[in-house]
Amino acid sequence: MLTNPLKPARTAPATANAPDMSLPLRFILTGLLALFAAVGWLVARPDILATYHYNQYVIAVTHLVVLGWICTVVMGAMYQLVPVALETRLHSERMARWQFMLHVVGFAGMVWMFWIWNMKQVGHFGSVFAFGVALFVYNLVRTLLSVPRWTIVATAVTTALGWFSLTILVGLSIATAKCTYESATELSPTSLLGAMIHGLRSVAGYMARFDQIGAMHAHAHLGGVGFFVMMIVGVSYKLIPMFTLSELQSKRRAACSVALLNLGLAGSFLTILLRSPWKLAFTLVMVAGLAAYGWELRAILRARKRRSLDWGIKYFLTAVALLAPFSILAVVLSWPGLRLTTFTGQLENLYGFLGLVGVISFAILGMLYKILPFLVWFGSYGKEIGRSKVPALAEMYSEKWQVAGYWLFLAGLMTTSVATMYSNTPLVRVGCALLALSLGTFTVNVAKILNHRLRPRITPLKFKAPTLSTLAHEPKVESRVSGLVSAS
Amino acid sequence: MREKVVRLDVREDIRRGREPFSKIMQAVAQLGEDESLLLTAPFEPKPLFAVLAQRGFLHNSKPLDSGDWEVLFSRTPPTGTPAESSEADSSRVNVIEVDARGLEPPQPMVKILEASADLPKGTELLARTDRRPMHLYPQLEQRGFSASSEEQTDGTFVTRIRRC
Repeated sequence: MLTNPLKPARTAPATANAPDMSLPLRFILTGLLALFAAVGWLVARPDILATYHYNQYVIAVTHLVVLGWICTVVMGAMYQLVPVALETRLHSERMARWQFMLHVVGFAGMVWMFWIWNMKQVGHFGSVFAFGVALFVYNLVRTLLSVPRWTIVATAVTTALGWFSLTILVGLSIATAKCTYESATELSPTSLLGAMIHGLRSVAGYMARFDQIGAMHAHAHLGGVGFFVMMIVGVSYKLIPMFTLSELQSKRRAACSVALLNLGLAGSFLTILLRSPWKLAFTLVMVAGLAAYGWELRAILRARKRRSLDWGIKYFLTAVALLAPFSILAVVLSWPGLRLTTFTGQLENLYGFLGLVGVISFAILGMLYKILPFLVWFGSYGKEIGRSKVPALAEMYSEKWQVAGYWLFLAGLMTTSVATMYSNTPLVRVGCALLALSLGTFTVNVAKILNHRLRPRITPLKFKAPTLSTLAHEPKVESRVSGLVSAS
Repeated sequence: MREKVVRLDVREDIRRGREPFSKIMQAVAQLGEDESLLLTAPFEPKPLFAVLAQRGFLHNSKPLDSGDWEVLFSRTPPTGTPAESSEADSSRVNVIEVDARGLEPPQPMVKILEASADLPKGTELLARTDRRPMHLYPQLEQRGFSASSEEQTDGTFVTRIRRC
């Protein structure tokens, strides 16, 4: 048995356990700005979703969503969560700060260059982005190497990082293949620049073997499922038991879900890239992995000690439930010999939209309702806990706005999905406007939360522990405490 | 069920000017899982309380008619109900236990920090949590506490907190 008597207070500065709160906050707020920009963009240009996705505008908005919003938030959250969840410390906070700058310059430049379709510059900004990703992956791998005991969460995070790295490599290769290399004839392959240009030309030549849309879909799958879904699956095995007061019910089932997802992903990548009819087999393996995940999640929830689920968890679980229609769509779209028609093309759009917005973004918004208040609360009130009465996490934002945001998001999602399927441009605008309203409610709550950073609300402690703020979430204990108050 | 009690009398050693510490620690090291140590000394051996608390022992001392003291060191139960009631007799008990299990984060941290706020010097706070309390360590360090956590066989954690 590994007991590992970790003694942070004695052996090293304990503050290094998790990075300073401003680091993940910076990533999360930047991500939210990108999400607002992307949804606003779709309201202004609904035709992006209502037409087939192989064009520069769809690619630009998609990268704004996946790199600007999802990647940024996931990276910030991982710098915070991975050390805490896996009981270790972040390898380097300074490296993470550098990565943030490379990341923002990289993704903003990429989105802009996709929009004006300048693939050479996409490659340049993509390289800046990739350099940031290399720092991110290196930093987390070093962190993972110091994990005292390996869990399924660590495995999921590690494989997600692997798929993410591969996604970036494939993406850069696709960009390389879309450039021309006239200067190669004038440059000697022995010079530094010449060697680089000749190397890029060989990559472009190699990529020419593959179908362009196949390569793009394979790249999108690696990123969407390999990085984002894998990360959500892995992290939720830690967070859902923690927030619902439960425990992982079957380690084997959890391991099985991660293994099946990985196996399916490897096979899907190759079969999508090569446009092989075996695609369906691997889609089914992945669906089996997701089913095992859903099953385990259900078992965790059934064993929970906290009966009521808060809305942050409801956002997350609804997103997970949306994996069901997403999986059905995946099976339909991988059917051997499926012909590309206007309708099936739109189903592909729907598949991407449902995956990125319905599943991943909705899940992240739910998780942010747990992470963001905690980050601000810990940063603003950390020193005062136990000395003064500090607000409870749930008091930092409005539940009414949160509930409104939930229903607006669902309404927006359904409307946009139907509109996308039938190429109905005005309806896409309505759906995206509903999504924008939902994000508006989120903004109100983010502002309320951040206000605690600007104006902390601390009142002197009236009686000794426990206080109401400590136990506000626990109805049973609350009555015990109120009994205590009336007794005192 | 009564535990087995091992008796150790160090009155003679002290009278002869011998340092009894290593003898006591040796006796403690040889104690079985269900054994307690009953120590007889010519005074209340207060410095020993903290040392043994770190090794997971609770103590209960009482003066004898002869002017000597008897102290019973027994192992902290591995699981159990919150021993906050032990706070009631703080003149005798130097370990305060806080059970922060079964709470949603960050409530365990709040509960433990509140308990630590008026922890007297020389008293140990023993906190039980479901997870390793990663966010607690920097807060404790800032407030001048040292802490070490140990995983229990049931997967929960016991963190021992003392003022530096």
